[in-house]
Order: sequence, then C-alpha cells, then structure tokens
Amino acid sequence: MSLAARRSASAMRGHENVKEIAGSAGLALVALVVWQVASGLTFVIPTPVETLRVLVANLGDPAYLTDVRATAVAVVSAFTVGTVLGGIMGLVLGLSRWARLIFEPLVIALNGVPKIVLYPILLPIFQLSGSKVVMGILFALFPVLINVATGVREVPAVYWKLGRSVQASRVQMLLHIILPTIRRPLLTGIRLAASLAVVGVVLSEFFATRRGLGRVVLQSYGHGDYAEMVATILLLIVVSFTVSIMLWRWEKRIR
Amino acid sequence: MSTIQLDDIRVEFDTPSGKVVAVNGVTQQVPSGGFVSLVGPSGCGKSTLLAVISGLTRATSGQVAVGGKAVTRPGRGIGVVFQEESTLPWRTVQENVQFALQIAGVDKGEQVERANWAIDLVGLKGFEKSYPSMLSGGMRQRVALARTLALEPGVVLMDEPFAALDQQTRIFLGAEVRDIWQRSQQTVLFVTHDISEAILLSQQVWVMSYRPGRIIDVIDVDLPEHRDASIVSSPAFNQLHNRVWSSLQEESKRGFRQQETRT
Repeated sequence: MSLAARRSASAMRGHENVKEIAGSAGLALVALVVWQVASGLTFVIPTPVETLRVLVANLGDPAYLTDVRATAVAVVSAFTVGTVLGGIMGLVLGLSRWARLIFEPLVIALNGVPKIVLYPILLPIFQLSGSKVVMGILFALFPVLINVATGVREVPAVYWKLGRSVQASRVQMLLHIILPTIRRPLLTGIRLAASLAVVGVVLSEFFATRRGLGRVVLQSYGHGDYAEMVATILLLIVVSFTVSIMLWRWEKRIR
Repeated sequence: MSTIQLDDIRVEFDTPSGKVVAVNGVTQQVPSGGFVSLVGPSGCGKSTLLAVISGLTRATSGQVAVGGKAVTRPGRGIGVVFQEESTLPWRTVQENVQFALQIAGVDKGEQVERANWAIDLVGLKGFEKSYPSMLSGGMRQRVALARTLALEPGVVLMDEPFAALDQQTRIFLGAEVRDIWQRSQQTVLFVTHDISEAILLSQQVWVMSYRPGRIIDVIDVDLPEHRDASIVSSPAFNQLHNRVWSSLQEESKRGFRQQETRT
C-alpha cells in the first residue's frame, strides 16, 4: 500500500470512528428521553436523575458494596471456570471422533434444557453461595464449548498436513495452529460466556441467596423501593454492556 | 546426498465403495540434486505418491528412502509445498516463514536470519511485515515456498504449488523455482498437470497412468540448462511436449471413461 493510500485508509477509519461515537451518543440520548417520558407515566419507573442519585448513594454504602462484591466474585468465578471447562470440552469434542459420536447429542440436549430448573437440585449440593456459581458456569459453558468444537472441526486440512510435515508436537499444534485458527469463534464464545455468566448468577440470586445484586433487586421490589431496584438493574446492565462491547471490539480487531 | 529412491510402491485406500488402489508398482529414482516433474491425469495418485515420499501417508507396501534412509514419517530433511492455501493469516510474512523453524526449536536469532535469507530468495523483501490477506495468491505461495526453503531441506516436494494461480504468475514463479533449485542443489520432485510447466522446469518428466497410478513413461528433458520462455517455441520443446501428451492422452481418456461409468 502506498503511503497516501494508507493515510487515506486511516483517515477513513477515523471518520468511521467519529460516526460510530456520534451514533452511540445519539442512541443514548434517545434512550434517556424515552426513559424520562416513561418515568412521568408510571410511578414504578424513577426519573434518570433520581436513579443516578440512588446509584451514587448506593456505591458509597458498605452494605451495598458487599452485595456488589458477592455478585462480582460469583460472576468472575463462573465465567473463568465456565470458559476453561467449555474450552477443554470443546477441544475434546472437536478433536475426537468418538467423543463427538457419544457426547454431541448429549451436549445439544443439555444446552436445550432451561438450566434454571436445576437450581433447586444444586442448592442442597452446593449451598447458597456455591449454587449460583455453578448455575453461572452452566450458563457460560455452552457457548464456549459449541464455538470451540465447531471451530476445531473447521481447521483446514492443509494446516494439519503442515503441522505434521514440520513435526509439530501436540502442544505446538494446539498453540500455533488450533488456537490461532479458532480465535474468532473462541472470542465470540467468551463474549457470550461473559454475559451469560451474569445471567446465571443474577437469576440464581433472584431465587435464593444470602447476598448479591439479584437479591437487592428482588428485595427493593418487595419494599416498593423502585428507585433502588432500577438503579441496581441499571448497574448490572451498564457493567455487562461495557464488558460485551470491549470484548466485541477486541473480536473485530483481530486478524 | 538426498536421492529419492522408490521401490515397488503400492498405496491402497479404503473408501465407502470399496478398496481403491491409488498407486501401484512404482519403482523410480530421483538423483540427488535432480529436478523431476510428475504429470498425470487428475485423480491418478500423483499427490498420493508425493504424500508417501513426504512421510505424511504410509505406503501399503514397498519402500521409500531419502538419502538412503527409509521414510516412515515426516522428517526435517524433507520439505513440502502444498497446493492449498497454507499461509497462516494471523502471522506476518516474516512470522510465517519462521513458522517451521520455530516449531523445530531453532533459536530466535537464527530463525530471523534464515527467514530473511529465504524471504530474499523468493523475492519478498520489503513485505516482511505484511499479512497474507494483503498479498496476492502468487505472493502467498511464495511465502509458503520460503517457509519450506528456510528449513534448508535436502529434498523439496511440491504438490501442484501453482495450480491456483494465473498463467503469467505460474510462468514467473516456475522460472524462479528453477533458478532457486539451480543455486541450491536440492532434490526436487514437482507434481503438476501442466505439461509445458513440467518440461520447462525439470531434467526428467515422469508420466503417471490413471488409477491405479503407475509410471508409464520417463522422459529425459535434453534442453539447455538455461531456459527462458522463448524455448517454448523451439522444435525440441515441441517434440518433448508431443511425447508427454501422447502418453498422457490415452490415460486421460481412460480416466474420463472410468469416472463416467462410475457415476
């Protein structure tokens, strides 16, 4: 590429970025206006300003922060374990014809099960604090597993030949051929796992837990404290949204 | 010394419709430092024979030896250039060329040095930091060639490396491959279905029959060592072309007939 062409390409990219930011800002503004209007129609929805006030106040409250920490720890553990476990299972399923024949129908069937119905079974086994992590793992596991298994199966035959012809070991094959080849589906799986780990944990907290943001939401609903409820929901949305966007941008950047 | 010695090679495959004999009774030799092209109708087992020599496929019976040593699995002395797109899109040209060296555990400094040498050899200087997606098909195939040459194998096996390229690029790259070979003294076996390419590049042309693949003709190419594109119009070249073509014609027809009766 000539220097001029490269410069104009990067200028174009800069232009795209400006458009993207303007678009996002516009969308956020529309959402705010709709929110403001909606808050005037029903007492359940507090105004944006009121919500923000409650949110800031909450974040200064040690008791509330304990709930934030409980949920955060559960989500991060569920995400980490779910991704690693899903990745390993996906590799095995993608690489071994036998594992595929035996386990693939099972995996597909299990993925179709509404996982939350298992919660009452998990509770006596993993206790209140462990069950929501296990639920988060169940939610996070499948997108990674399925994306990795499919990705591995689609590694071009010539890459296997190349690896064998240069006598790559299994570990080298994994690190230098398989993982880079499946980088895109793997990252997509990880992004989905991040948001589904939140879903699994918070959903569990709605049902039964000692501490956590899900419990805060449910309790403030019970007390009719809608500002507290919406502020907490907003916090959950903003955090998951930011993580998803960051992972998505990373996904778009890789070759 | 890297002579390729083939002794009564037979390769069978199990397919859903029964056993297929891909290669049968091939006994041939490529002398050390020689350049031999293997031509034949599509589906005749050329690539299979190449895979057997590279150690990627085991022969059902018979012996393959390279440099006097029996080949049972891939080895560092044998480099392969594949027909398919085989550059790794997440690596730059430099990193692609270093790939085989990196796998072999060559230390970093030497990796860079040998990769630079190979990149220069295939005419990719200045593109070290480019990614394959930024290059043409011909340049990507140069990267694959450089990756193989960087290992400095005694034997280079090429499986229709230019099949996906346009005619001009093929001719250019072919001339470069011949040039590199003349300087390196490597032993080259080059699979192609292009008769002109086979004659232009090599010292000897083997003609393979349709399934089961046998070597039905061996033609010495007694053209001058220095060859350019104008040689294509010489009477000597035409004579060779006719000879290869007449051997091949029968086989191609037989191949068509068999494929038609099967469907």
